[in-house]
Amino acid sequence: MTEAVFVEHLSKRFGELAAVDDVSFVVPEGQVVGVLGPNGAGKTTTLEMLEGFLAPTSGTIRILGTDPRRGGRAWRARVGLVLQSTSLDPELTVRQTLDLYTALYPRPWPAREILKLIDLANDAQTRVGVLSGGQRRRVDLAIGIIGRPEILFLDEPTTGLDPEARRRTWTAVERLTQAGTTVLLTTHYIDEVDRLADRVIVLAGGRVVTDTTPRQLRAQGGPATIRLPVGPVTVAELPPKLAAHLDADHDAIVIRTTDMAADLGELIAWADARDENLADLEVGPPSLEDAYLTAVGERLPPEASADA
Amino acid sequence: MPDPATTPRLPAVGPLLLTQVGYQARLLAANGRAVMIGVGLPVLLLISSSSHSHVSVSAVAGRAVFGLTLTAWNIYGVRTVAAREAGILKRWRATPLPRSCYFAARILATVVVSVLAGAATVAAGVVLYGTHLTVTGALGALIVFVIGAAAWAAPATALTGAVSTIDSAGPILLLVYFPVLVISGVLGSVSEAHWLHTLATYLPAEPLSHAATSALQHAPGAPLLPARDLLVLAAWAIGGLAVATVTFRWEPHRPTQRRAARADA
Repeated sequence: MTEAVFVEHLSKRFGELAAVDDVSFVVPEGQVVGVLGPNGAGKTTTLEMLEGFLAPTSGTIRILGTDPRRGGRAWRARVGLVLQSTSLDPELTVRQTLDLYTALYPRPWPAREILKLIDLANDAQTRVGVLSGGQRRRVDLAIGIIGRPEILFLDEPTTGLDPEARRRTWTAVERLTQAGTTVLLTTHYIDEVDRLADRVIVLAGGRVVTDTTPRQLRAQGGPATIRLPVGPVTVAELPPKLAAHLDADHDAIVIRTTDMAADLGELIAWADARDENLADLEVGPPSLEDAYLTAVGERLPPEASADA
Repeated sequence: MPDPATTPRLPAVGPLLLTQVGYQARLLAANGRAVMIGVGLPVLLLISSSSHSHVSVSAVAGRAVFGLTLTAWNIYGVRTVAAREAGILKRWRATPLPRSCYFAARILATVVVSVLAGAATVAAGVVLYGTHLTVTGALGALIVFVIGAAAWAAPATALTGAVSTIDSAGPILLLVYFPVLVISGVLGSVSEAHWLHTLATYLPAEPLSHAATSALQHAPGAPLLPARDLLVLAAWAIGGLAVATVTFRWEPHRPTQRRAARADA
């Protein structure tokens, strides 16, 4: 498989501050990579270097085999991007905006098809300036993909969107990735990575702290969790083994366990004896968010970890 | 890697440039406030300065130059900074559109709209006050307006690189604009020192106003346009363009590099 992104020993310094520090990774064609990290982790700085907006202090970048700082028209026609903030002329209609960008590419999506893809066919004649934030973001996405890019950079594409708008955006990205487009996505949303990405890179303090699949990252998150909401209960009312897991508000027992069968059996036996309602019993694997926080927390100095 | 033999060719630059000029001109002209300032204000000044249903040709030329320069300098400059700070220029820079094409289209569109703003004031002079206008005079004025608009739009492009926020764009542009206009006598004659008058002849307002007046009151047998004025205006256009290629910024200003890195998400 050919590499769409090649990054080796990439660093970016702003004065004394190392925003990106010796980052290396390779993304094969067709892979969807989620880049996670707390504020200040270096996600956007990395992405801006990959897009060719920022020059690295040191290191090597090749996007589709080309240094992005030297990419010409033909290279730019193969690369799509959605910037962190909306970047549209508010005076134009959605259709006018798409027509304008369509004219730039050798084999663009027809505007009519792209309007369907982003679910804005009914707003084609609406001025961009009066669209909702979610709709504007989808027009941004449309511009990013209108040239049928081989690689798409998405910088926090759903930040600030309501849940429905986020899901519509995800659907549009999924349709694109089914066609084999390589995607590099930065986000704060763990569920976005869980839904879209084949692979997750976690940055913290400008360095890669984890580079793995969402499933493996979740497995790194520690034990599974059992949670049973209970009525007000005192420690004395619980068997010693369960008493240790009573939460601070004394209204739930939360067990993080590596021996699911034994702990679950003991909890159910106790609840059955007390006639506790088991309808709200939750049993699950460690969440990706737990795993992410574990990964970030382990690698960051205390003050940065607190910010994360 | 795509095979060059099978990769579709990129669209030709000429049609892209025309599309971009149309798009930029439409954006500039579609803004109601811009039209109000570039056309309404000069016409209002023309009406308020008239006496007994008469205005001089130089007054018509002066107000037309006022409208033209307001559009080519202030409105265009502020809109360029606004587009840059909104990330619109950065977005365009990332597309396969040649950067020179986008850059040229912005200036050409501004020239078109500015010339229309100047022409509207001249038309108001003809309609409201019967200002005499020959075909030769109109063509001469058109040439002057085109070169004059470029002489203001190109330096405005260069200056936008030094403007860091949309809030400061208007004040900075006006701070340069009004002194130049006043010492050049575009808004009316001023008593000024000889050296100041000499200086004004090297700035882009006085030669523009003088050349426009000469064109509008052209008499048969006389030279249509003053060559020196056009040379000064051309020098501003070319010089401004040269500086703009160095100073023009595509990306929004970062607050400071250090703070930007800390705020990096």
